[in-house]
Formats: sequence, structure tokens, C-alpha cells
Amino acid sequence: MSDERRSTSGKKDANDEVLQWVTFKLEKETYGINVMQVQEVLRYSEIAPVPGAPLYVLGIINLRGNVVTVIDTRSRFGLDPCDVTDNTRVVVIESEKQVIGILVDSVAEVVYLKASEIDDAPNVGNDESAQFIQGVSNRDGELLILVDLDQLLSDDEWDELKQF
Amino acid sequence: MAKPLAASKKVMKNYLSELLTEELPELERKKIKIASKTDDIVEDNRLEALLQNVNAELDIAPHEVSTQKRIAHQDSIEEKAAQQSQGEVALSTQKSSGDFIAKIPKSYRQGDFQTLFFNVAGLTIAVPLIELGGIHKIDKTTSLMGKPDWFKGVMLYRDEKINVVDTALWVMPEKCDETLKNSLNYQYIIMLNDSRWGLMAENLVDTVVLQQDEVKWLDSTSKRPWLAGLVKNKMCALLDVDALIALLNEGSGINQFD
Repeated sequence: MSDERRSTSGKKDANDEVLQWVTFKLEKETYGINVMQVQEVLRYSEIAPVPGAPLYVLGIINLRGNVVTVIDTRSRFGLDPCDVTDNTRVVVIESEKQVIGILVDSVAEVVYLKASEIDDAPNVGNDESAQFIQGVSNRDGELLILVDLDQLLSDDEWDELKQF
Repeated sequence: MAKPLAASKKVMKNYLSELLTEELPELERKKIKIASKTDDIVEDNRLEALLQNVNAELDIAPHEVSTQKRIAHQDSIEEKAAQQSQGEVALSTQKSSGDFIAKIPKSYRQGDFQTLFFNVAGLTIAVPLIELGGIHKIDKTTSLMGKPDWFKGVMLYRDEKINVVDTALWVMPEKCDETLKNSLNYQYIIMLNDSRWGLMAENLVDTVVLQQDEVKWLDSTSKRPWLAGLVKNKMCALLDVDALIALLNEGSGINQFD
């Protein structure tokens, strides 16, 4: 048995806490984010572009009097842009003490995952976006990619967002 | 459909010719150099010893003493020569250790061994059956962002998560243009030993028992550690599975050592 397989089975004996994940779709893949970081899920509404904003910022929305910056999740994940549909949602999250929105193709459900059910993603690739992946999990025969929202932007980018 | 296949076969032929016309590995050349140096030293010492023995025979009358001396002298010369040659080898080994990765001896390097041949984009690849982890029919792969092009994604097989490698993109990234990529029709995953890595294959060709002399072994190359050797009559690459796994675990592409 290989070392990596042993390390996976080793997790089962250790702290096997259950975490809840909100799942969303981007293109054909399903992603999960920690439910504790999700504030709410909004239907798509007009996103006002901000002149001079970085490429990863789609624009801003007004959420009950508060301005929320919306991130272009597709470009962040290296995916091609697509048209907005009825299923498009803005997931409002709190990360790095900031509230931002991420635009996703659709939101699916909330799932419960034990720590032992989460595996590390293969450690290949130097691309920045490879760091977003916290782990992967087999969910009813479908692979769920768990996203580390804190890694979604670099420290400089988080600082940049404070200016909006 | 026939044209891209013919083109890719031509590309493969050139590719393998390049591999087969490889120059004599540097380590082998160094070994030969060291061996000839050692021979020279031993030869010189023997000559010196003979000359000294001649002198000794002339100077000292009793034969017994001379013989004993000769033996003792011969011993010390041989020791000296051995020490010198050992020193030479140790020096060269130290010098060359930075450039070359020594390969671990494989169990299939003795006697006959079975290999599986499979096809990817007109290229035939062989893998020793002893290092084959299994063969699966290809299923849905989930791509992960930020990974190299050759990392196709993760495929679920029962409870296992298989890291799927686009073999053509890994083995010959420079040859993979859009036409070749579009012509690929992957059907199987060839699992590497007991790792999670699997290579995509278009067709399974055959399993063949190979003899040692049917393979041009590449024991001392750091340039292509994933290549155990070349199967002479099939003109195809024989994989060093463990080295390949190590490279994949590091996230290294094939051109890492170029």
C-alpha cells in the first residue's frame, strides 16, 4: 500500500469532525465552500462595473445599503466567461475579515462531509489557482472540489479590495 | 482521420529514432576513461616493479630473499595501484554524482519479463507487468484548476481517486498540436504500480515476454529517468514506472532535465 493511501486511512482514526459545505457549479465541475464563511446567496442582479478595477473584480452590488465587491470566479479559476442565466447566483462570503461576492453558475446544496472523507488534491502545478483547492471528496460518485476562500486572493489583492 | 494518424506515426518514428540514436551516455564514457586510466597506472607500476626486480636479482645473491622481497614488493605495488585506482573511482563518482541519478536495480532486470504494450497517438509504450497497478476503462475526469496541461484531472473509481495523466501531453508536449489533441481517443487508464497515478491509453496492444537483450537498457541517464530502456524490435519506450511516479509526484513534466 502506498504512503499516500496510508495517510488517507490514517485520517479516519484521528479527528473526524463533520463540516458543512455549500456546493456550487462552475462549468461542469462542482465546488464546495465552508458554510461558516457563507453569509447569503443572492439571485443575479445588475453588477455595476468600477472603472480602473482589477480584472478579477466584476464590479459592485448594493446589498441593503452596503457595497459588496463581486469577484469574477470564472476568470479566477482559469475558466472561459459565460452568459448569465436564471441559475446564476452571487454567493456573499466573509473571508479575511472582508465581505465579498463570488459569481457562480449555480448553487446546488449544502452537504455534510467528515474530515476523513476529504483527500488532499495532487500537489502538482505551480499556478496560483492550484492553491485555491483545499481538498477533494467523493460525493455520490461525483468529485467535489473544496475551495479555500482565504487563498482566493493574495494578501495584496485583499488589501486592494478594502479600497472599494 | 487517416491523415492525422499517419502524420502522428511519422512524428513518433522520428521521435523514437532520436531516442535510439542517443549518444553513448556520459557516465559510460567516464567509466571507460577511468578504466583505461587505472589500467595505465597498473601497467606502469608493473613495469617499474619488473625493473626493480631485475636490479634486486643482480645485487642480492640468495634467491630466497629476493623472491620474498619480490613478493612483498609486488604486494605493495598492487596495493598501491588498487588504492590509486580506488581513489580515482571515488573522485570520479563524487564528481559525477551531481549530474546523474543512479537507478535502483529492478527485479525484471534478470531473465525474461512480461510487458504490456499500449498505444498513445501512434506511439507504442511498454510497461513491465510487475509494475502495472491495473487497467481501468476511462470514466469522467474532474479537472482541477491551476494544474499543468498534462494533468487531465481526477477520476473516481470505486472509492479510489485516480490522478489521470494525459500521456501524449506528458510524453511529447512539443508534438501535441491541436490536430493531434483532437485526434486522441483515450479509452483506458494504465495504473502505475500501487500509486494513484494512471496514464491514459488509446489502445492496448499486447502482452509480450521480453528477454534482456531485446531491450536497449538506459541505466545511467538522468535526462530521461522515466525511460528504463527501448524495446528494440518494437522501437518503443519501456517505462521506468517508479521514476515516472516520482516525477509525477513532483509535478514535473518530461522536459524537466533538458
